[in-house]
Amino acid sequence: MSEKRKYKKRFCKYCEAKVDFMDYKEVGALRFSLSERYKIMPRRLTGNCKKHQDMISIVIKRARAAALVPYTVTRKAVVTQPFENLR
Amino acid sequence: MRKYENLVIVKPTLTAEEIQASVKAIEEVITSNGGEIATTDTMGMRKLAYPIEKNERGYFHVIYYSVAPAAITEIERRFRLNEELLRFVTIKYDTNREIKAWDGLVEKANKKAAMSAKAAETPAATEVPAATETPVVEEAAAPVVEEVPVAEATPAAE
Ligand SMILES: [Zn+2]
Repeated sequence: MSEKRKYKKRFCKYCEAKVDFMDYKEVGALRFSLSERYKIMPRRLTGNCKKHQDMISIVIKRARAAALVPYTVTRKAVVTQPFENLR
Repeated sequence: MRKYENLVIVKPTLTAEEIQASVKAIEEVITSNGGEIATTDTMGMRKLAYPIEKNERGYFHVIYYSVAPAAITEIERRFRLNEELLRFVTIKYDTNREIKAWDGLVEKANKKAAMSAKAAETPAATEVPAATETPVVEEAAAPVVEEVPVAEATPAAE
């Protein structure tokens, strides 16, 4: 029951940039919401708001289906080429 | 009529002419089912994020069109029968916000097509500014250029 916040308050990057639509073909923009193993980062770590997190998760799943973003990567690929194909 | 977008990935093993013919056939499927193609965007040969049918690369092509919603099942059925297609992704643009985004995407694709057409007409004129403004162009060119070391090697040589 401490008065101070335990963690720094985070802000939604997409709200600041006033994003209201995301294109799944622009893969570079998705990088901030993917872990190095290409998992979708949870909202509690990125600070995204619910609205934008929902948009991102849909867009990432579309990009995965379109073979623009991998579903998973092996341990080897994590070390050798982090975000190689997202540039 | 509803607005749609289709991304198709054509097999990389075909020759350039065969790919063009395949893309034509795909567009033909849409138009023959009552679709009106607004614009197309060629992303070109790209590395796939994961192999599909043992192919490491694929030819990406995006088609923006509007069609009656009932025709989509038939279009997708025809795509599924097409063996030259590795993958297709159909996106529906339904809400007002999405339709606005669709218009924006079409405009962007048209602009890109006009740019590349201009570049094809006068290749010498476009190459000269590219050499002078190295840092800006490099940023823009990075997604297109496959091998990054090559792009980085040029400023070091100058
Ligand atoms: Zn937000």
